[in-house]
Amino acid sequence: MEQNVLLSLSHVSKRFKTEQALKDINMTLHRGEILGFLGPSGAGKTTTIKIITGQLRQTSGEARLLGTDSANIDASIYEKIGVVSDNSGIYGKMTVWQNLIVFARIWQVPKSRVEQVLAQVGLAEHKSKPAGKLSKGQTQRLVLARAVLHKPKILFLDEPTSGLDPATAVAIHRMLLELKEQGMAIFLTTHNMEEAAKLCDRVALLHDGEIVEFGSPQEICLKYNRNKKYHVLLADDRELELAQNSENIAKIAGWMEGDQVMRIHSCEPTLETVFLEVTGKELNV
Amino acid sequence: MKSMNESLQPIGMSRYGSAERGAGLRKLAAVTQIKWLSISRNAMIMIGPVLVIGMVYACKILYGINSESDFVPFLTGTLLNIGITMNICAEGFIMVGTSIAEEKENHTLRALMTSSITGVQYFIGSILIPFVMLMAVNYIVLFISGISLDIVPWVPFFLVSMVVSLTSCVLGMIVGICAKNQMNANLISYPFLMVFMMVPVFGNLSEGLHKISAFLFTGVMTGMTERLAAGEKYVMSPLDMAVLFGELAVSVLVFLMLYKRNGYEKD
Repeated sequence: MEQNVLLSLSHVSKRFKTEQALKDINMTLHRGEILGFLGPSGAGKTTTIKIITGQLRQTSGEARLLGTDSANIDASIYEKIGVVSDNSGIYGKMTVWQNLIVFARIWQVPKSRVEQVLAQVGLAEHKSKPAGKLSKGQTQRLVLARAVLHKPKILFLDEPTSGLDPATAVAIHRMLLELKEQGMAIFLTTHNMEEAAKLCDRVALLHDGEIVEFGSPQEICLKYNRNKKYHVLLADDRELELAQNSENIAKIAGWMEGDQVMRIHSCEPTLETVFLEVTGKELNV
Repeated sequence: MKSMNESLQPIGMSRYGSAERGAGLRKLAAVTQIKWLSISRNAMIMIGPVLVIGMVYACKILYGINSESDFVPFLTGTLLNIGITMNICAEGFIMVGTSIAEEKENHTLRALMTSSITGVQYFIGSILIPFVMLMAVNYIVLFISGISLDIVPWVPFFLVSMVVSLTSCVLGMIVGICAKNQMNANLISYPFLMVFMMVPVFGNLSEGLHKISAFLFTGVMTGMTERLAAGEKYVMSPLDMAVLFGELAVSVLVFLMLYKRNGYEKD
């Protein structure tokens, strides 16, 4: 196995009684990479995380986490991963501090690290507050703090910013990018296409348990850029949509020389429109 | 949020202590701490032991058990039976079962199990506090019931109390493993309560129930306390031992079967 590959799925399928949840999933996650798993509710995102983290057994195929078959994951592997599920999973009657300190005990993390993480997620002043009394954004930050307390090699995030206010979402995005820079691999599931385009190095578009597109957001968007047009706003307020050909490029160059161009961008589709085109379905369902 | 810029060296045993030393005990202590914090903050659970102790003490005073009446041994025996079976059954099944169900409800069980806690550590950590509480309440009830402490065979009492409390905790784990939420846990506990609590308690009133009671682990405990209340010596019979250890073994076996099938939580 390539040394930087921390996670790999090879022909993984999962069938529940009457439903095919995942079909032939193949992918890898490398050190320092954010991989987005995108799809609407029920597409199989959470099922995939559960299979990778050994909480659920696949029907066929192979899932390997940190070189170990997911079916045989033991405590030593769990000590190297962090999981943020779609449900908070915090002890509401315990304080913020107690919520972290018990996990610090499990992972043998010193108290100074707990203090540090609390400060990083902006919850230091709330550490004596019962966790059940935190706002949704604060709760999510607490869950994230718990997941990174032991500095895992891979962080699994299941819809981490779902239902959060934009400011908290941005703060979490910033934190994730910092963790990525430090070399942490992040497996992110979301149905927020903007979030995926902003954070992810590569994304997999999941539809009915099947990966319908896989690659970097830019690659995918360019691949579906069938219109091949430039959108130009000129100084005289004219807005033009021009086909991408040599004649129009010369025209645009002329306007640029004359300082006529106020705004110019290509018209490749967003991930959302790609998803709609590939599956015929909206994402936010 | 402040910056997180620092090296991403995993924190774990290798960095902050010798490799494997005490890792299991540390995790067990963490689960026990979680259980203590969650049980001690759950009024529904904590009211149980207080009620049992309060009820026995109040009854002792109300019925004048310390008087010279001929009913004294009978009343003492009945009171002890009610107190101890209530403690063992209601508290054992509910305290352990509800606590696991609460973890499922709040999704903390999943967080815990993906944090490197093993099934065995979770099992022991979950029953440790309830077990100690059951044992403590058994002794408190014995002391306040008015029974003559001179005739109490302390070693057999400790042994029977220990096995009975342990069996009750394992049955609580079975309740917890089967329950989806706290309400469901209470519902699943009722059949256990009907058999293991009601039969020994009403064994004094019906010959048939008394016979059945001898084959229940709670019945062994009440059989002992009845004799002590009557001023008789208690010697553990082979049947008592077979019932105590047999039912503990069966409970553990059933728990293991259920655990092997779905783990603590079914997906």
